[in-house]
Amino acid sequence: MKPQPILESSCPLEFNECPILQEVLALRDECSRLTELSITDPLTGYFNYRYMIQSLDQEMERSRRTGLPTGLIMVDLDHFKDVNDSYGHMIGDKALQWACRIWRENIRRIDIPCRYGGEEFAIILPGTDLPQATLLAERLRKVLADSPLPVDGFGLELTASFGVSAFRGQNGATPQRVLDCADHMLIRAKAQGRNRVCSDLQPKRKSPTEVTSDERAALFNTKGNEDFISPCLDGVEDDCQ
Amino acid sequence: MNVNNELLKRPVTVSLTSGKGGVGKTSLTVNLAVALSRSGKRVLIVDGDLGLANVDVLLRIHVERSLRDVIENGDDPLDTIVSVGPNLSVLPASSGVPEMLNLGQREQSLLEGLLRKISSHYDFVLVDTAAGIGQSVLWLNHFADHPIVVVTPDPTSMTDAYALIKVMAREHERNSFHVVVNALSSPKEGEEVFATLKGVAEKFLQVKLLHLGSVPLDSEVAKAVRRQIPFLKTSPDSRAARAILELSASIEKLSPGSHRGAAQPAPALQPKPLAVSERD
Repeated sequence: MKPQPILESSCPLEFNECPILQEVLALRDECSRLTELSITDPLTGYFNYRYMIQSLDQEMERSRRTGLPTGLIMVDLDHFKDVNDSYGHMIGDKALQWACRIWRENIRRIDIPCRYGGEEFAIILPGTDLPQATLLAERLRKVLADSPLPVDGFGLELTASFGVSAFRGQNGATPQRVLDCADHMLIRAKAQGRNRVCSDLQPKRKSPTEVTSDERAALFNTKGNEDFISPCLDGVEDDCQ
Repeated sequence: MNVNNELLKRPVTVSLTSGKGGVGKTSLTVNLAVALSRSGKRVLIVDGDLGLANVDVLLRIHVERSLRDVIENGDDPLDTIVSVGPNLSVLPASSGVPEMLNLGQREQSLLEGLLRKISSHYDFVLVDTAAGIGQSVLWLNHFADHPIVVVTPDPTSMTDAYALIKVMAREHERNSFHVVVNALSSPKEGEEVFATLKGVAEKFLQVKLLHLGSVPLDSEVAKAVRRQIPFLKTSPDSRAARAILELSASIEKLSPGSHRGAAQPAPALQPKPLAVSERD
């Protein structure tokens, strides 16, 4: 919110103590505090669900306009109910804050970390394609697994499962569809034993004689494009189990 | 007739092929044929561009009958061949006949039989293939003893040449190809283009490429094409003409059928979709 010039200066009538100006300034601060509150999760400091949907929609629109992809990571702490049940909700909350702080230190400033609900989080990655988003998820997984939460002189080991998708301008994709896709991958990661990353990333099936991007890259001494598809978002339903 | 005599009479069959059109295949074929015939070899040019023939145009010859009549009406191929000079003949193809591009099994075996029959009269058979990687192109490259891939430093030409090599390697078990780099602005460029292609083919396809020669970019070539006379005749001292003579000397050293058993016929190809042309 842009402050109006009148609020920047002192009272236009040059009263030493102007009650109206004081009131307006207080309202302005209150307004920005409420705005902050309305988009922030108080426990973790991450953005909340409402802001997440709004941002994802906006980033996907940016992808459509710029052609740059938008990555999405969905995370869920493993066996979090056990942590709450065994150590109490205070330690449970500490665990959430601990994980969120560690992840925030390992993402870029432009990334948008959000609390999806409970112990589930979503990180929106502007300008990030599926392979890079998958690499980042793997890094986030490892850094949490390697950083136990200090509780009463011992380390409480925390792990999380990750599902990754990316929007590359696919026709008909909505924020919900991109979220569902990442969620789908997250469920797969849980089913495969937790503490792992599953991604909507599959090597493109090629004709055996098609010139691959690696071959092109070798011919022209450039970097290869990633030859992959996203079965979920590309609508290859039978591959998206 | 004894087998050894039959083998001795076998000519050296080379195909000139490129994947991409407009890289100078036909012009190279015609000029190489002229060079070979001048050194006393009996040479036959087969216009393998069965749908859009060009060899007749570059040699300014009038074609009454073509390969199409041989295949479709059973005309005698020897009557179809046009003599264009001492030791130099052309088996012309037809222009503007789309169905000739995709040879069916019957046409393939017919073509193979007649090519084998007529080629025994020659020392060298040069097949100028069409652009692309259609069935007829693949089949003619398979038929030839030595496919010669013509490539220019243009990235699209390099990609298409590589694509052609890949299809031939994967589907026709060709594991070695000769390469001619055409339209070069410097000899160094020719070495670079060849080295790149060779490196990629070795790494990804385990295919061996042999540098048969390079031809510089020469304005005399385009002029000769427009006059419909081989540049070997119009500009015998041009750099391109000198390069052709070197190439021709290299081709003279090739032996018939060294890449596979000489008696083994080219198998008929089943038409199948080729994804390599569907680039995304």
